[in-house]
Amino acid sequence: MFLTLLLAGLAALKDYIALHVVTCLIPAFLLAGAIVTFVSRESIIGYLGSAANKVSSFGIAAGGSFFVAACSCTVIPVASGIYYGGAGIGAAFILLWVAPAANILALVYTGSILGPGMVAARLVAALSVSFVVGAVMLFSFRREEQQRALTIPATTRAVMSKGDIILLLLLVVSLLAPNYAIRSGPYLYKVLVWAAAMAVVVVYAWRVKSWEEIKGWLTETWWFVRMIFPLLLAGVFVVGIIGAVLPEEWIETWLGGAGLRQSFLATIIGAITYFATMTEAPFVDTLMNLGMGKGPALALLLTGPGISLPNWLAIAKVFGMKKALVYVPTIIVLGTGVGWIAGFVLG
Amino acid sequence: MIIEVCGPGCPKCHATKTNVLKALQELGLKDGEDALVTEVKDLKMITVRGVFMTPAVVIDGVKAFEGKIPSPEEVKRWIEERK
Repeated sequence: MFLTLLLAGLAALKDYIALHVVTCLIPAFLLAGAIVTFVSRESIIGYLGSAANKVSSFGIAAGGSFFVAACSCTVIPVASGIYYGGAGIGAAFILLWVAPAANILALVYTGSILGPGMVAARLVAALSVSFVVGAVMLFSFRREEQQRALTIPATTRAVMSKGDIILLLLLVVSLLAPNYAIRSGPYLYKVLVWAAAMAVVVVYAWRVKSWEEIKGWLTETWWFVRMIFPLLLAGVFVVGIIGAVLPEEWIETWLGGAGLRQSFLATIIGAITYFATMTEAPFVDTLMNLGMGKGPALALLLTGPGISLPNWLAIAKVFGMKKALVYVPTIIVLGTGVGWIAGFVLG
Repeated sequence: MIIEVCGPGCPKCHATKTNVLKALQELGLKDGEDALVTEVKDLKMITVRGVFMTPAVVIDGVKAFEGKIPSPEEVKRWIEERK
């Protein structure tokens, strides 16, 4: 029994490593490193901070968070920073939600594993949820909001230069191209497309970036590899075991179809468990192969990286118990609702 | 000189502290005598220091580095320039 489980886990790991490391993970980690190195977080924070407490600030917050690639725990210092710096509570909690649930890295990576339909759904759902969350937080704490002052210096600096945008786009292409251009045929074709795309990235980076910048970029990339890769492997291993233990009928009953109960269960699993950014995609992929419905899958994609038990506790500690008690249930209700609706739309 | 390494205790924060200690050593300063290196892990205490992105290094109340791991050379340069 134990041996079969171990073997199932190892088999999942072997498949994953064989099919994903080169064409998915290398470009994904390079993209993550590039975002950290070349996107100026100071100016994003400047924009977020100066966003007054109006609904228009929500758009700025959601758009800015898009480029903050972070897991649910690393985003908390950033969100608390802009909140105590005087940004609106709506904007702070939108950042807290969008950065892990729908950052550019997670979206592109979801796309390369689960296809364009799920990405579009994830983006639309994350943004709608973020606006509702912002509005709920703003409404619940409107009196407190009037007494806070802004201390974040306004910024006029660009978030990134033109050259950096091109580099980031090239990386997105190299992450998507192998998985979209080659849908059938031997794996070698994918690797060839990947190699061609990577060659373009390398040549471009070599021409526009100084050696110092490239070194910084590679160092950041290596940090992502060191922090996320072990979690990713552990996640895939666990999923392999889960796939072997749970009979398919179970997954179909509890997570299949488009029911409210299935969405709720998926939301709760996602809301409690900690998923490092990117680990949610292979997890959901396996569950979908075992019969999970698209609606519950979306709910899990959002709440998995979006919130987790450690993240609830940290939010309660930093922002206060009251705000955590408004935020977490709001996300659970919205996650369930979004999954339920998406089940009908996508199904 | 009081050097505060701000961060929730992530691997990057440890790397930052290591680099700060290395810089001190290269400058011939002793931790505990000429300088005091402490870790600030509480998020509220980090925020109060005006830090948004961790890891960050605050030297004598001035934010020196933020959102990245400074190399020992960068820390050395920062300290030497302000002596």
